Amino acid sequence: MVAAPGPMALRRVGAAAARSRGIPTTPTRGILTTPTRGILTTPTRGILTRAAPPRPRGPLPRTPWTTRGPPPEELARVVERRPVREQVELDTITYAGRQHYVPGLARPRFPPWDRGWHDPWHSPGPRCEEMPLYKERGCYICHQGVRMLEGVRQAQWLTKTKLVEGLPPPVLGIVANPAHRLEEHEEGVKRAISHARFWDTTEVAPRREHYCPVLFEDLIHLCRLMSVKYPSLTRRMLARNYKIAATWERESILLQVRGLNGILMNSVSPIPPVASKEEILATEGHVLETFYPISPTIDLQEVNVYQELNHTGFRDGYPFSHPHTLFFLESANIRPKRFRPEQLRAKMLMFAFGNALAKAKVLYGNDPKVLEQPVVVQSIGTDGQLFQFMVFQLNTTDLVSSDGIKNLVWIDADQNLYEKAQCIPEVKKRVVTKPAGIYGFQPDTFKKFLALYLHGTV
Amino acid sequence: MAAFRGRRLLWHGRCWFSQTESAVSSQPPDSLYPPIVASATAKSKAAKRRRLEHFHQRVHAAASIEEKLRLYGQLQRPKYVVYPQTFALNADRWYRSFTKTVFVPGLPPGAVAPEAAKAPEPGAAAPGAGKSPEPSAEAAPNLDMGELRSLACDALLQESFYQNKKRPFLYRDQDHTPGPFLTQLVSTLAAFLCGRNPLLAASSLDLKPEVNYYWHHGEEVVVHGHRKGRVDPVRFQIDDNPHLQIRVPKQLPEIVPLDSDLGDVPVIDHKPSKLPLFKRQYENKVFIGSKVADPCCYGHTQFHLIPDKLKRERFLKINLEDQIEVLYRANGVASLFAWTAAQAMYQGFWNEADVTRPFVSQAVVTDGRYFAFFCYQLNTLALTVETIQNNARKNICWGTDSQPLYDVVEDGNVKGFNDEVLLKLVRFLLNRPKEL
Repeated sequence: MVAAPGPMALRRVGAAAARSRGIPTTPTRGILTTPTRGILTTPTRGILTRAAPPRPRGPLPRTPWTTRGPPPEELARVVERRPVREQVELDTITYAGRQHYVPGLARPRFPPWDRGWHDPWHSPGPRCEEMPLYKERGCYICHQGVRMLEGVRQAQWLTKTKLVEGLPPPVLGIVANPAHRLEEHEEGVKRAISHARFWDTTEVAPRREHYCPVLFEDLIHLCRLMSVKYPSLTRRMLARNYKIAATWERESILLQVRGLNGILMNSVSPIPPVASKEEILATEGHVLETFYPISPTIDLQEVNVYQELNHTGFRDGYPFSHPHTLFFLESANIRPKRFRPEQLRAKMLMFAFGNALAKAKVLYGNDPKVLEQPVVVQSIGTDGQLFQFMVFQLNTTDLVSSDGIKNLVWIDADQNLYEKAQCIPEVKKRVVTKPAGIYGFQPDTFKKFLALYLHGTV
Repeated sequence: MAAFRGRRLLWHGRCWFSQTESAVSSQPPDSLYPPIVASATAKSKAAKRRRLEHFHQRVHAAASIEEKLRLYGQLQRPKYVVYPQTFALNADRWYRSFTKTVFVPGLPPGAVAPEAAKAPEPGAAAPGAGKSPEPSAEAAPNLDMGELRSLACDALLQESFYQNKKRPFLYRDQDHTPGPFLTQLVSTLAAFLCGRNPLLAASSLDLKPEVNYYWHHGEEVVVHGHRKGRVDPVRFQIDDNPHLQIRVPKQLPEIVPLDSDLGDVPVIDHKPSKLPLFKRQYENKVFIGSKVADPCCYGHTQFHLIPDKLKRERFLKINLEDQIEVLYRANGVASLFAWTAAQAMYQGFWNEADVTRPFVSQAVVTDGRYFAFFCYQLNTLALTVETIQNNARKNICWGTDSQPLYDVVEDGNVKGFNDEVLLKLVRFLLNRPKEL
């Protein structure tokens, strides 16, 4: 089932079509984009509609037919900035001396009251410029609330990564290997979905905040039970509420990945590199996609008070020192509070990169170089129904220039575990049209989940 | 209100008449008159008995378990809310009297998993063989204590030492380290042991589930209000939130036969409100952690975390050292009674249809460092005034005192690790029916 193209996709298609027609691409934000001939009809909720003329967003283009007069820069220069009262000097005589309001006199402005001594409970704190960690050069931080405009493309540019569609061959090999007998788990997965979506609450239907983590826990429980067959799977540990810190520089922009992100599964031994040497050398010729005029640091939080820190979140001597998989759960009830799939994939890429970079700096030092033993970190993101799988391989910590060997990421996007979970039977005119249950169960999604879990020990 | 009930009963009464005609055999078959029974709507004791009979018939004849539970808890009245984790003094005696439970100190000898039947595995035999000459309380030869100890220590060290965490939030120390440690420990142990216990392989692990049970026990006179002077059953409700629980599709085996008598149930002459217990009126819920449709409808083990306001230091500060064990026991008895009784109701039993087989579950109550283990066998659900008269069965709870798992965590090392506590925990997880 093809999903309806969202506004981002429409804009990109419009811009791409305009580019192919030779028209100079206008910036995608706030500019009219006429829909291409390829999208005459836009299916929304199963009803086909014709594309309406796009609403103008933002200021209109300055053409002779839309505005009159000089351009805004000139107007701003000419316009007086001071308020009228100040210009006419109406406020010189105030009723401050009279100690009460007098109609006709101006309102006095008193200087702010000074306590005379420093009260820590009532002091506003040092200004940004006076804080000890203040630096002139700004740093752009990616944290768990950052929703990048350009999604995976932006994350790719920031992390100097080449994208490969689909999961890497070793993981696909685990999926296809009949020796693992992944089919036996189908019943267990269906039970897990029913438990999360139907049975786990005293209410009629649980909310996403409830069923998303429960589904994740049940799937992880199913995966952990595989340690019967593969005893080395017991050398894994889940860590919740851990904080990552990684810093790098990208073409004279200082970037950081910080803070809480998701649930990390650590393992004792690292995942072996997924791509062959030839593939890594071949990335040298790949050119990173830019999206001029949008800056690659859009939507990142710019700060001037920061610390250039590289920390994995765990102390030295931790036995489970290699990050294996990061899990992201989009469990907000309200749709605007959840990340869209594209934004979720970008977040997964950024944090997988952050974990890999912090680990690489611990292993190989802070000098930028190409790694002989690439660091591999996997990532799975879900909102309770849709799964995004990602395998990231860090090949180099030399990220300042955009040439040279790049990192690799394999993304398998938008895998549905099931189409619909009907809690209450749908009844139309006293006839049950859709009985309660799970519809459209796809076992492949769980096979990939399990394959990513087993990757590295099998 | 009475008129509505009367009319409804009359309508139901007409349907019921047709049923009783076939049921009553004392009337001669050629009688022209319907059976002579007491009125169903009069303000008399006979009428009340008939209405009660009718209600029991409806519950017995309910089409599904959900319908039965709905009818059972249909009438809402003020009820005592029983909290398993309570600071009340000597609460475990009160809870035992409410639930007709006998407390037996120590764990039952049958709780040891049947290890002798399994052949020893080659890899794990070597470290275990050194321990096998010890008395039978030790692990069976094929349990690798070193491996289990390292799993437990890894979980503990990760949560308390290696992971960078901020300071715990005010009065939320339990969510900072002991809670995550318990979750990690149980999930890794369950995964490690599922090879030896196939029941764990089919189990379902719930994090922070809800367990509710509603029951009647004893009688009281209504003190004030428009129903003043009437004799009412005393209603109780437990709403429990264990930290973790394991539910399984097959029932645990019984520990002792159904009619065993291992002690006395304490009798308390005071009203429950003296404990203190308070009354509230809200939905009467019966829930084991998931709905009736779930195949994992029997309980295996629950794990409870003592909250911050009931920690040991607070009891020691106000000179109530003996109440620490009372807290653990009360938690074990109340939580396990609620869980096992709810499991029994999910199978269709209730106080008029008493259980025909005992329901067994286990619980571990901990505050992160001290662990107490409890086993519960539910032999009877019949606790109401009418049904308790001829009922000689008692529910039984075995329990230990709380023992520390470790002394202190210092610089990446766990000092004073106690293997016995870990062994008891592992034995609990390995418990399974005999045929598996």
